[in-house]
Amino acid sequence: MKQPGLLILGNGGAAIHAVSAARSAGYEGEINQVSDMEGPAFNPMLSPYYLKGIIPWDRCFPFGADFYFKHDVTCHFGSAVEKLDPVNKKVLLKNGRNISYDNCLIATGARALVPPVPGLNESGRIFTLRTAQSAKRLEEIISSAKKIVVLGASLVALKVTEILRKRGVDVILVVRSGHILRRSAHPVSAVLLQDYFSKQGVDIRLECSLKGLDSYGRGVTCRFPDSIIEEGDFVAVCTGVEPSVEFLEPGQIEMDEAILVDEKMKASVEGLYAAGDVCQGLNLMTGKRELLGLWGNACYQGRIAGLNMAGVVDAVHHGTIPQHVSPFFDWKYGQLGDVHRHGENVRILSGGDPEKEGFYLFVFDDGVLVGVNLINRFQGAGRLKSAIFRKVDFSDLVRGGFCPSYDEIIDRISFICI
Amino acid sequence: MKQLAFSFDVNRCTGCMACVVSCLDQNDLPGGAVSFRHVTKLEQGTFPSAKISFMSLSCQHCGDAPCLMVCPTGAISKRDEDGVVVVDRNLCVGCYSCVLACPFGAPQFEYGTMTKCDFCHARIDSGMVPACVSVCPTHALGFGPIEELTKATKEKASVTILSSLLTAGSR
Repeated sequence: MKQPGLLILGNGGAAIHAVSAARSAGYEGEINQVSDMEGPAFNPMLSPYYLKGIIPWDRCFPFGADFYFKHDVTCHFGSAVEKLDPVNKKVLLKNGRNISYDNCLIATGARALVPPVPGLNESGRIFTLRTAQSAKRLEEIISSAKKIVVLGASLVALKVTEILRKRGVDVILVVRSGHILRRSAHPVSAVLLQDYFSKQGVDIRLECSLKGLDSYGRGVTCRFPDSIIEEGDFVAVCTGVEPSVEFLEPGQIEMDEAILVDEKMKASVEGLYAAGDVCQGLNLMTGKRELLGLWGNACYQGRIAGLNMAGVVDAVHHGTIPQHVSPFFDWKYGQLGDVHRHGENVRILSGGDPEKEGFYLFVFDDGVLVGVNLINRFQGAGRLKSAIFRKVDFSDLVRGGFCPSYDEIIDRISFICI
Repeated sequence: MKQLAFSFDVNRCTGCMACVVSCLDQNDLPGGAVSFRHVTKLEQGTFPSAKISFMSLSCQHCGDAPCLMVCPTGAISKRDEDGVVVVDRNLCVGCYSCVLACPFGAPQFEYGTMTKCDFCHARIDSGMVPACVSVCPTHALGFGPIEELTKATKEKASVTILSSLLTAGSR
């Protein structure tokens, strides 16, 4: 029996792991892969390490150029998708080529979102950090810039800020909400990080939004409320991402913020799958399908999609929880689960000094661990994640006036989580 | 592919820490913050039926290792010959992704890069047993091909560890 032909749209972690999983499971049919970029798969997680001088450029491409040959993939790189025809199971590329498929994975990732601020979109003096090209552009900009305004307070915004400060560039960090890392950090943790960034020379403006941007030959003028004006060389836009699905027509497949998929990574149309930053998979904290934007999660989703598309294994992705870990200057910051849980049964335990033994913040809901922030204290962090996954009950430790230590919590999990 | 694994019998462990000390010695670790093996104590119940148990844990060299899957640089890999999970510290950037991924608390950081139990592969390649197993006075710790361990310890508490490492890499 002829095996179905697989088509992979995209060339990131999800796409690579889909190909790898299909071949590892014994799939011997044709695999076509399409990407608007030339060259091997780029890992955007690694560009900050390159820009900080920790790794050379070639290590931002960890799967190597020979991956496609080793996995017998026909590459169609350097041409984006123009149109997807799921009824006839065909894809039209911008270079005019048509590719048919039996199963297609959309793993085109996400792209930086530029908010609709007057003067911002049309400015030639803004930059983002997402792709290999954008990393190279930032490297060029750093070599000449003296002062840059960073919009946003996400992990990417803070990474860009760190890169710039380490290269001696003055930074104004413009934060729309009341604290940085609005989604991942509890306000207590955020204040510690803000103080640390301030000590690194970052000018943080909380509850501040850019109202307009005027660009000229060698710089920009940023206009803020109350007639405040700041001059700079460039503006870094780190205000979020949107899925790269411009080739889909409205209503073609079921979408929310991104493509909705089931536990097999199937989209709403037969023969179509999605994985990575282009899709919304299950968030175990909420029970809803959400865009989580995690490298590891994208790789797992790609693997599950690849196995199911190949038709040799029936694989299921059980979902995941929000989680991040990142170095900032000499600190390490991490988040697990939901640190913003509210309610009468919610109890928060925190302690430790980031500059000494490290800081922790645990959020318990009715005795169950639901959220964690860590700064410079990561012993057993994976066990904490297991405890959240398994809804471990710590009621006897955290109810009433008891205040267990970090180590007592970790020790408890050692016996429960394996 | 052959998969080596540790076995652990919680009913035999006395918490003597010999496994931890031998691991530190074998790997030239100074102790303190970085240790590849940890012993945890659990106290349960009250007098007269109080009970104390110990758990000795290190990297479990998972069949489907989550640390390997989330590593952005490819620094973590499995040896084809025995399934031992090893790390190339020259490739590690110190991102800590593996720390969040590992349910056993195995990844440790020294000089900015990850290090962990490598199953004493220099010893097992020479026909010896891992240092921690060799010194365990009660034979609570063991090692071998996972199929044999599962068979031998079918009715023991250690089965829970063995089964967990086959499924650890699902998230």
